Amino acid sequence: MDLSVVIVIVCAVLAVALIVVFIVFGRSEAAFTFDIGGSAPRASGGSDSSSDKTLSSRLVGLSVAVGAIFAALFARLWSMQLVSADEYAERAESNRTSTVYTQAPRGRILDRNGKEIVTNRASLTVSAQSDVVDDEVEVQLLANLIGMPAQAVRRKLQDTSAGYQSLRTVSVDVSRRVVAYIGEHPDVFPGVTIEERTQRSYPLGSLAAHVVGYTGTVTAEQLESSASGDGTQIGYRSGDVVGQTGIELQYESVLQGVRGEQLVYVNAHGDVVGLSTTIEPQRGSDLVLTIDADIQAAAEASLKRIVDDLASEEKPASGSAVAIDCTNGEILAMASYPTFSPSVFVGGISASDWEDLQAESANYPMLNRAIAGQYPPGSVIKPLTAFAALDNGIATPSSSWVCTGWWTWSGNQSDQAGMKCWQESGHGGINLADGITFSCDVVFYEIGKGFYYSKDNPEGMQETFREYGLGQKTGVDLPGEEAGRVPDAAWKWEYFKSLGYSDEDATWQGGENCNIAIGQGDMLVTSLQMAAAYCSIATGGPMWRPHLMRGVRARIGDGLVSEYRCETLRDIEEDETYRQLVDSGLEGVTYRESASQASHWTNLDVTVLSKTGTAEQQSSEGNVGWFCSFAPAEDPKYVVCANVDGADWGATTAMYVVRDIYGQIYGQPDTSTAASESAD
Amino acid sequence: MAREMTGPGTARGGISSIAQRVAGQPSQGGKVGGRQGPLGRVYLSQLIPALLIVLIGVINMWSCALALEGEVNFTSHLAGIALGFAAAVVVWRYDYRNLSNLTTALFVLSCVMLALPLVPGLGVEGGLGGLGWVRIGPLRFQPSEPSKLVVIALMASACAQYNGKIETFADYARLCGTLLVPLLLIMVTDLGTGLMIFFTGATIIICSGAPRTWVLATIALIVGVSALVVITSSIDGLPHILKPYQLTRLTVFLDPEGSSSEDAYNLIQAMIAIGSGGLLGKGFGNASQSLLGFVPESQTDFIFATYAEQFGFVGSVLLLALYAWMILATVFLAMRVESTFSKLVLVGCAAMWTFQVLESVGMCIGIMPITGIPLPFMTYGSSSMVTQLAAVGLVQSVWRHRQKVA
Repeated sequence: MDLSVVIVIVCAVLAVALIVVFIVFGRSEAAFTFDIGGSAPRASGGSDSSSDKTLSSRLVGLSVAVGAIFAALFARLWSMQLVSADEYAERAESNRTSTVYTQAPRGRILDRNGKEIVTNRASLTVSAQSDVVDDEVEVQLLANLIGMPAQAVRRKLQDTSAGYQSLRTVSVDVSRRVVAYIGEHPDVFPGVTIEERTQRSYPLGSLAAHVVGYTGTVTAEQLESSASGDGTQIGYRSGDVVGQTGIELQYESVLQGVRGEQLVYVNAHGDVVGLSTTIEPQRGSDLVLTIDADIQAAAEASLKRIVDDLASEEKPASGSAVAIDCTNGEILAMASYPTFSPSVFVGGISASDWEDLQAESANYPMLNRAIAGQYPPGSVIKPLTAFAALDNGIATPSSSWVCTGWWTWSGNQSDQAGMKCWQESGHGGINLADGITFSCDVVFYEIGKGFYYSKDNPEGMQETFREYGLGQKTGVDLPGEEAGRVPDAAWKWEYFKSLGYSDEDATWQGGENCNIAIGQGDMLVTSLQMAAAYCSIATGGPMWRPHLMRGVRARIGDGLVSEYRCETLRDIEEDETYRQLVDSGLEGVTYRESASQASHWTNLDVTVLSKTGTAEQQSSEGNVGWFCSFAPAEDPKYVVCANVDGADWGATTAMYVVRDIYGQIYGQPDTSTAASESAD
Repeated sequence: MAREMTGPGTARGGISSIAQRVAGQPSQGGKVGGRQGPLGRVYLSQLIPALLIVLIGVINMWSCALALEGEVNFTSHLAGIALGFAAAVVVWRYDYRNLSNLTTALFVLSCVMLALPLVPGLGVEGGLGGLGWVRIGPLRFQPSEPSKLVVIALMASACAQYNGKIETFADYARLCGTLLVPLLLIMVTDLGTGLMIFFTGATIIICSGAPRTWVLATIALIVGVSALVVITSSIDGLPHILKPYQLTRLTVFLDPEGSSSEDAYNLIQAMIAIGSGGLLGKGFGNASQSLLGFVPESQTDFIFATYAEQFGFVGSVLLLALYAWMILATVFLAMRVESTFSKLVLVGCAAMWTFQVLESVGMCIGIMPITGIPLPFMTYGSSSMVTQLAAVGLVQSVWRHRQKVA
C-alpha cells in the first residue's frame, strides 16, 4: 500500500475518532473523564443484587456460548476425522504419491534370417520443465545452443500433447556437444535435463518401409479406444509411441513393451522425497518376419530402376512386387515404389515432410501398392480364364480357334464393331495352350462369348476368379489391404444404377464378358492377390494365406516362442489334364513367346512358368505391365509377381523385376542384355 | 477529579470492595476461597491446561521444525515461551487492579500501539498480516498482539465504572465509542485481528450489563453494516470497501471446491490434512499434507491442521478439551470474584481465547472465514506467544490478588 495513502487513512481515522469522542462524551452533563480514581461508580441506581444478577446471568450466558462454540468445533472434527476420514485420506494419498513412467523399448523387427530391419537406438533428448518458458533468457540460450528458433523452443515447452507432465521434450537426438555444454553449465539452464530415450532406428534404411510401417505418438483416437477397451488392449498413456501403419501397427501388441512404473512420494513442489514400489519396464518382443532382406532388397532395387526409367518420361510411374513361398504362404519380399523412409517419423514428423509424402507430385509414396494398389490384371488373368473355360465346358483341351487380329461378336470379319487382338497381324489357328503362351486375345474373347451364352453357368468365369481369391482380401497380416473387384451382372446393375444410369446402360453386356476374360474392363486386382492366385496354380490345390509374420523371437537365443500358424484359404481342385495344359502354356510364355524374352530365362537353372500382361487403364493414360511367375516347374516353391503402373508392356518392365528377384533367390543374376520384345 | 470519594460505607461491590478492604474491614463472605500455602497463589484450574497446551505446542512445533527447516526456528519458539513466562510472572506479581484507574492511559496506549505499524519507518511488511509488523532496532513484532491485552484492560476499566449496570444509552454509546477508536486503527492494517479485538471488547460490554435490547439493536446494526459492506464490495459500480481478495478470503470457506482461488486451495489442503488424520492421526512427523508443503503456513495460520493431521481426532479433542477447560475455568473464576473490574478482565481473557480458538480452528475445518489469527500457545511467533502467556499471568494475577490489598 502506498505510504501516503496510509497516512491519509490514519489521519482520517484519527479525525473520526476525535469526532466520536467529542460527540459521545461531550454531551454529558458533567465533563467527561475516563478515570474515576476509585470514586463511586457512575452507575448509582440499582441495587447490589440486581447488578450482581445481571452480571451473573451474563457470565452464565458466556459459559453457554463458549460451550456451544466448542461443541460446534467438536462436531465438525467428528464429521471430518471420523466420518469422512477415508475420503480425505484418499485425497491426501493421491497428493503425496505420483507415478513416474519409463518407456519400454519396442521389440525389434527382424527378417527371416534374423537380420535387423527395425531396431532401437539410444537418443539423447533435451527436456525442460514447463516453467522454463517464463525465463526469456534461458529460452533464448537454449534455442541458440540447440539451433532452433526461440519461438519453436517456446512452443515445445508449452506443448501439452504429451500430457501435463512437468517435463516437456524440447529436442531429440541432440549432439554430444549440446549435452556436454548443458552438463557443464547447470546454473545457466535450471530446469533443463538430458534424458536418454530409445528411438526407432532402421539399419537397412527404407528397406521394406511399406511392410514394417512407422511409429508415432499415440493419437487421440487411439487413446480413446484404448481407454474404452475391455481391458485386453494395451492401456496407452498420452505420449506413448505406438505403431501407426504396417507391421508396427498390425503387431502392436507384440512389439509394444510394458512401460515401467515407479510410485514415488512427492512434496507440494513435485520434488521426489521417497520411493515406493517399482515395476521395471519390459521391452517388447522381437518379431521375426517371413521377409528375406536380401530378396526384398533385390526387389526394391530392381523396381526402383525400372520405375525410375519410366518416370523419367512425362508420366509418373509406380510399381510393386511380391515374392511368396507357395508351399506355406510366407511372403519373402513385398516391395512398393515410390517408397519413403520411416526414419522421418522418428521423434515426430515435420509438417513439411508430411506434406511432401502426401503430395500428388510425389506419386503417393506412402501407399503400399502391393496390397492397396488396384489395377486391371490384363493377360495375367488368362490362366484363370482358361481353367474356367475348361471346367465349365466352354472349351476343351483340343479346342482351337482362328485369330486374324480382328474379332467380331457375330464372327463376320467385316463388322465395324469388334475387338482387336493385341497382335494385330493375328495368330492364325491356335489352341488353348498356345492361346496362353502367345496371349491371344481372340481365344479368350471366344471363351467370354461362350460364357455369355452358357445356360448352365453364365458367370462361371467370375466364379473361378473368386475361387482363386480375386475380389476379396487375402487376409494378409497388414492393415490397409484392398479387395479388388470381380465385376458381374449384379455388381454392374447396382453400381451403374447408383450412378443414375439407365436400365439399358446398367445391364451386363456380352462384350464385358470378353473384357474380363482378358483381364480388362472393370476388373481390379492387387499384385498380392495375383501372387496368391498363382500360388494355387503352382501348387495345384492348397492356397495358403499369404503372411508376413514368421513368429515371435524368444528372449534368449534365436528360437521362436510363438509361430505363425499357416492356414489354407481354400483348396482348389483342378483336373490334372487341365493343369498340364495351362502349365505348358505358361512354360511357353517363358521360353517360346519371344526369343529375346527367353534369353533372360535360359540363363537361370530352374524352369520358370510365367505369364506376361499389359492392361489398359480407364482411369489413367499409362498401361499396367504385369509379370506373374512360379518356379521351379517340377516342384513349385516360389511365386513372384510384379506390376508396373505407367508401363508400355509387362514384358518390357515387370518381367525384369521378377527376373531380378529370381536372380537373388537362385544366385543367378540376369546376364542377358537383350531388350525384351514388346509382347503381351 | 469530578467526583469525590464518598467514603467506604457507600461504596458497593467492584472497586468499592477494594476500598472496603483498604479500610481493614473483613471480606463480606467473599465467594473465592481457594488453597492456602505455596500453591495458593496460583489458579491451578487455569494454569494446568494452559501449560499442557504450551507443551503440546512445543511438540507440534518440533515436528514443524524437523520438516520445515528454514521456516521454523525451534529455538526461537522456545525463547518466545521463556519470554512469555517471564512476562506472565511479571503480570502475575503486578496488582492488576491498578489498571482499573488508568482508563485514559490505556486508551492512549492502545491507540499508540495500534498506530505503530502505520508510522513511516517503523512499519515493515511480513507474514500474511501485511502491514501489521513493527521493527524497533533488532526487534520485530506485531503490536496488535499485546494491544489485545491493553484493550481488554481498557474496556474492563471503562465498563467497570458502571458497576455492572449501564443505565443510560449515552453511557452505552460512550463505551461502544471507546472500543471503536482502537478498532478503526487496527482495521486499516489487520482486519482479522481487528475483528478479534472487536468481539473481545464487545463481549466485555455485553457482560458489563448493557441492556439486552441495546445489545441486540447494536448487533443488528453491525450485521446490517457488514452486509452492506459485503454487498457493495461485490457489485460493480458501487464502492469496494473490501478489496476483491479480502472478500474472497471472507467468503471462500462457504464453497471452497467451487473456487479456484489460492485461498480455496489452501483451505482444501488444510481440510484434507485434518480429515486424513483420522481417529489416531498419522503420528509425529508423518504429516504428508502439512509437512510436505501442501498446506501453506503450516506453522502459523494453519497450525491446527498440522497438529490434527499428526494426532488425529483424539489429539484434536484433547486439545480442544484443554482450551475449554482453561476458558471455562477463567469464566468460573469470574463468577466467583467480587469486583466488577476483576470479572470483566477475566471475561475479556476468556472471550479473547474463545474467539481465537474458534477462528483459528474453525478456519482450518472450513466453518470460519480465512484470516491469520494465531491459535493461542500453538502458533509459531513470539508476539502471540508472549501476549497469550501474559494473559495467563493476568488471570493468575486476579487469583493472586483475590483477597489482598494492592
